[in-house]
Amino acid sequence: MTSLTKKFSHAFEKDEGHVHIEIEAKPYSNPYLVGIGLGLVLLASFVIMGRGLGASGALSTLVASGVNAIAPDHASHNPFYSEYLGDGTTNPLKDWLIFQVIGVLVGGFLSGTISHRVKKGIEKGPHISTKMRLIYAFVGGGLLGWGAKLARGCMSGQALTGGAVLNLGSWAFMMMVFAGGYGAAYFMRRQWI
Amino acid sequence: MKNFFANLSTNKKFALIAFILGIIALFAGNPYGGGTIKVNEKELALSTINNSDKVTVTDLADWIIQGKADFELVDLRSQEKYNEYAIPNAQCIPIAQLPESDLLRNQKIIFYSDDDVAASQAWFIFKSKGYKGVYILDGGLNAWKEKVLFPKAPINAGKAELAKFEKAKEVSKYFGGQAQTDSTLSESKPSIQLPTSNVGTPKSGSTPPKKKKREGC
Amino acid sequence: MNAPFFKFDYFNTDVSLIFAFIIGIAFGIALERGGFGRATILAAQFYFTNMRVLKVMFTAIVTAMLGLFYLSVIGFLDLSLIYLTTTNMLPMVVGGLVAGVGFVIGGYCPGTSMVAVATGKIDAMVYVLGMMFGIFVFGEMFPSIESFFNSSEMGSVTLPQYFNMSYGLVVFLVVLMALGAFAAAEWGERKMAAKKSEANP
Repeated sequence: MTSLTKKFSHAFEKDEGHVHIEIEAKPYSNPYLVGIGLGLVLLASFVIMGRGLGASGALSTLVASGVNAIAPDHASHNPFYSEYLGDGTTNPLKDWLIFQVIGVLVGGFLSGTISHRVKKGIEKGPHISTKMRLIYAFVGGGLLGWGAKLARGCMSGQALTGGAVLNLGSWAFMMMVFAGGYGAAYFMRRQWI
Repeated sequence: MKNFFANLSTNKKFALIAFILGIIALFAGNPYGGGTIKVNEKELALSTINNSDKVTVTDLADWIIQGKADFELVDLRSQEKYNEYAIPNAQCIPIAQLPESDLLRNQKIIFYSDDDVAASQAWFIFKSKGYKGVYILDGGLNAWKEKVLFPKAPINAGKAELAKFEKAKEVSKYFGGQAQTDSTLSESKPSIQLPTSNVGTPKSGSTPPKKKKREGC
Repeated sequence: MNAPFFKFDYFNTDVSLIFAFIIGIAFGIALERGGFGRATILAAQFYFTNMRVLKVMFTAIVTAMLGLFYLSVIGFLDLSLIYLTTTNMLPMVVGGLVAGVGFVIGGYCPGTSMVAVATGKIDAMVYVLGMMFGIFVFGEMFPSIESFFNSSEMGSVTLPQYFNMSYGLVVFLVVLMALGAFAAAEWGERKMAAKKSEANP
């Protein structure tokens, strides 16, 4: 909270024409403390809802709704889409995961603002062009979206949530993600290092 | 010892705590067991007094005909007796096997056996284990046979009672039973054939079973 | 025994959406604090220079696992009511491999990309578009891969059930494994940092 007020006063200072010093982004927290915090959030989700966290499911609902809006016949005949669209009695967008992901966006923005880490930019290593990075981002996103759907969940829904409830398939998935990542890392090294 | 702990870095403290909790977990027991049994006798007594823990056979018959499926009907008798005759949609879980059943604590569960006794015992066991919606079929299978399968025509009945009997006749037909219109018939009770198969497919447009909502990604 | 609250109808679906939003905010804050809003940090995991992903993820899993275990043992929570995704081994293995490759190419996973979008990363926005395209392609392919998607069905099965071990033993082993992984990660990071400073003094 104090840093928030600092930010406000900082903005005022700028208005008054004072010398403006760039506030440096704070370093990230101790990973183990963050992990415990994340674990407690996950535990709270289990206790309150009986389910874990997720992310890709919300995007699937969005995609299914989009397809449904353009070609309703096509969507209703595809069991994959229709599962996300529900039985038509409720709006498919009124979904737990959608609201949770909106929360993630808000939470990420709040935390980033407080620590002065919200900054427009592109994340990449020094040896790759912006254009290539964006192409890689699209391709990587596509592969992850496809793979996560085949595996019935993403890192949040499978690895994290399923890992905590000791789900057999989730642990297999987690191991394979690391295997795939380390296997492909060599070929992608120009992008990151 | 205290000094030793204080001198550790934050990360090592957490590691030590996690390790200790992991070791205790080895001996902590089964997480599915449900822990110690705590019985709220007042609540139990109260629900017994207002009969809120009982379901009548006619209500159950109506639910089945309407195709309601938001409950689990459990037959507590032996497998042989279940094979002989059971109420439609019932699953057979002999009372000895109840602890291993996969009934869930948030389900609406209706127990029945021949009479009330076994169902009441199962009801008590499940209530004390923290199951929320547990019910006894009032009168058990005996009441089911008497009131649903083979209802007797009321003697010197008024108009309202006759109308009720007409409905009971329909219901009994649905379940493959036979209404007893003649009082002499009831004397030849041993000859009454119990319906052999689980008759009565639910009508269309019925309430679907409590749908398993997608909860994954 | 009265948790999970939602499964015992303590509140309705509409209220659950409010909880979804609050839990989401906490999730987003945790991910952002962990540095998961930056693809360079996430990808560094795969080059052994920064093991934050492993540390945060396994700490979170261990914390939630221990919490679930002890809350169930004392009888506060009914573990059998916690949702378990069914295991379909083959599609999960293949999907995991593809997702892992996608992770290293794209630099994010779905949850972290949301945080990156919220903190202004343009590559993350492109990544999310790519992800939606991938999901769309999967949806269009679905009729032809449905049988593979549903193959090697094992039902909802946990590690203790599969390996026929007690739940407590698996909890203990996971804690041990995580602690071992943390020690290795710390050691590896030091090693990599030393190598780097040697290379450019």
